[in-house]
Amino acid sequence: MTPRHTASRARQTFLLALVLAATPASRVTAQADSTRPFVRGGVYDKPYQARLLGRTAIGGYAEAHARYERVDGATDEMGFVAKRFNLFTSTRVSDFVRMAAELEFEEGGEEVKLEYAAIDLRIHAALTIRGGMLLSPLGRFNLSHDSPLNEFTDRPLVSTEVLGVALSEPGFGVLGQAAIGRQGRVTWEAYLTNGFHDGLVANSAEGTRIPLGRGNIEDQNASPAVVGRLAWSPRVGMELGISGHHGAWNAFTVEGTPVDERRDLTISVLDGELSVAGIRVSGEAALARIDIPPGLAGTYASRQAGWFLDLARDFGAGLIPTAPGSLFTLKARIDAIDLDTEAVGHHVRQAGLGINFRPTSESVVKLDFVRGWRFDPFNNRSDFARLLASFATYF
Amino acid sequence: MGMPNLFRGLSGIPVGLALLLQAGCSDLLTSTPDSGDQLDSPLEGLSATERAAFVRGDEEFARRFSPATGLGPIFNDVSCAACHSADGRGRPGNALSRIGTPDEDMLRSWGGPQIQNRAIPGALAEVVPAGVHVSVRLPPPVFAAGLIEAIPEATIIANADPDDLDGDGISGRVNWVVPPPWVPGTEPGAGPEPRVGRFGRKAQTTSILQQTVEAYLQDMGITTDFLPDENRNPLAGHAHDAADRIGDPEVPAGTVFAVVNYLRLLAPPAPGGPTAARALGEQLFAATGCAACHVPQLQTGPHPIGALAHQGVTLYSDLLLHDMGDALADHRPDGDADGREWRTTPLWGLRMIRAYLNGDAFLLHDGRARTIEEAILLHGGEAQRSRDLFAGLSPADRAALLDFVGSR
Repeated sequence: MTPRHTASRARQTFLLALVLAATPASRVTAQADSTRPFVRGGVYDKPYQARLLGRTAIGGYAEAHARYERVDGATDEMGFVAKRFNLFTSTRVSDFVRMAAELEFEEGGEEVKLEYAAIDLRIHAALTIRGGMLLSPLGRFNLSHDSPLNEFTDRPLVSTEVLGVALSEPGFGVLGQAAIGRQGRVTWEAYLTNGFHDGLVANSAEGTRIPLGRGNIEDQNASPAVVGRLAWSPRVGMELGISGHHGAWNAFTVEGTPVDERRDLTISVLDGELSVAGIRVSGEAALARIDIPPGLAGTYASRQAGWFLDLARDFGAGLIPTAPGSLFTLKARIDAIDLDTEAVGHHVRQAGLGINFRPTSESVVKLDFVRGWRFDPFNNRSDFARLLASFATYF
Repeated sequence: MGMPNLFRGLSGIPVGLALLLQAGCSDLLTSTPDSGDQLDSPLEGLSATERAAFVRGDEEFARRFSPATGLGPIFNDVSCAACHSADGRGRPGNALSRIGTPDEDMLRSWGGPQIQNRAIPGALAEVVPAGVHVSVRLPPPVFAAGLIEAIPEATIIANADPDDLDGDGISGRVNWVVPPPWVPGTEPGAGPEPRVGRFGRKAQTTSILQQTVEAYLQDMGITTDFLPDENRNPLAGHAHDAADRIGDPEVPAGTVFAVVNYLRLLAPPAPGGPTAARALGEQLFAATGCAACHVPQLQTGPHPIGALAHQGVTLYSDLLLHDMGDALADHRPDGDADGREWRTTPLWGLRMIRAYLNGDAFLLHDGRARTIEEAILLHGGEAQRSRDLFAGLSPADRAALLDFVGSR
């Protein structure tokens, strides 16, 4: 069996597994709670959108940082960043068709990116067809990463360094949900996408870097990748998700001519969130396997992994008389990535603490302290610390 | 207004955090390691311009290449820093394989003199041909290269005794090397005539610039203004030539000079503090004859960089070639050095070797020795007598000598 056939079979198996897993059991009904967003904070769960001509909503969010970072006792950064200015829109074209888009201006406009632009054709609660520039359902954080929602200023390491959040790619696929009991539900998404390109190796000066393989706007190998997520939520505020990506990252065939061996990237992600005693707990763990050419073995990683765990506890609701909707949040995060699980070093660990103030639910002022340890490929340790202040607000 | 219960319960946390910050601010915000414990510190006494050059060179030394920036087509690793741990020694995973002798034209048609065991996509990595003798060489430390460069040739020659006229059994000699013509005449160690080789395991290189340019090409597959032609696997077909799509030269001379300046301005780590045992060890180091080759200190001469001029360089090496016996022989001549000869390895920095190799110590040219004692006992040839004297020491004296060497 050729590698291509093997990969094709793997994709079929993956899709079949998703469909089977999502098949309603006896207690499952197809109609989920229609008021509950598909993903909290996701594409169609944005606040502060203004309506134009009745059916098009617009909005966005902005984010600014003040950053102080020290590495091994020396100041590495003390400055300000106009981090993001994102515009989004959504349109309910009809009862069956809707469309949403998000345009991102990052780092003071140095990077401009169409992060999301997809059309949904809703056939049933259990079946919506989606196509366009998608947010890959690879971990929950990628689906809901707006800065005003995040408790911490910086995104988790596993999200930025392993998964490449925000990860959006052109693709087509399906999504849907089904209720389980009175409060529970299952949601699923599965898409065929262009996948990653060889920039994850060719453009990377730091060994394998999956985020550098993003932006495969034009297919390069005539072999779609498959990405999907299955999430089970027994009640609001509690969810467990499993997701994965599998696809070739190299141009192993050009116009039908095989020019290389097929090399796959497989990413598995486990995510979860719950609320216990007023403490919101969320986290993700990811494992990536990258089929690296033999000539690069030892310098480019073939396995990467990472995880984070966030804890947040609200307090002081309405404490400020002039802002009755205000809220404080204490937060903590532990965070680790291993950029080459087969190397003795090449990993990063960090822990963060902080406090947030939300004058209203749409805006947040964040104060973070992060202390971390970076290990080079020889396992030499470098210490870093960050003090961050940031504003983020929907508008 | 009363404090909400929830808030009251948590109000101690920010106070505790503030106290914690006050108590251990330097630890929380990281602290600077002692520069004497680091291998990548600049020399003391540099001017602001020299420090700026150091910083720029540091960035280039750490710069990792990718296929998109010129890496390959064949290579050993992706950056200077990828081989030299924190500017110190490498480990066996970074070892280079050298093959061929001048009689065999360095086995160039098989990929010699250095095997590039990695390749970018589309290119073919080299492999050591079956049945060929291999000289394995670990990356040496690169710190204080400028101090070594600033030692006058006459100072090195003065310690040479190629015919052992003093009858001490030690006959160190100079590896006379003709510098390649592309080394600018302005660089120390350049010129059309043979010069004193002082860099490399066999002192086969005369200048930091030559060492740097050849490492760019041989180790990383990066062409420069000095060596603008790619290093290719001679056993790979022409189709593989298309793999490297970056025009040559891939880095300009200015980048090379930045790295050369960085290496030139690196300071050596400080030795450990004096103790009674180390004082005894130092005496035994001299008494056993170790110091005859591992000369404790050489002196630099005049130099345009003030921090390099007229400095005592406590490197514990005479920078000369010595017959090291059968156990260490690689049977591979390099320039004027024969297959049993090696340049006396400087001992400075041994104190920090385990700190930068994840607790390990890979000693000797190929890293086979894991302790200083093991390395000493592998000495032979001209060092046989010293080795035997060391082996005959009492356990306490032996420990003192090892403590002294390990504290350099």
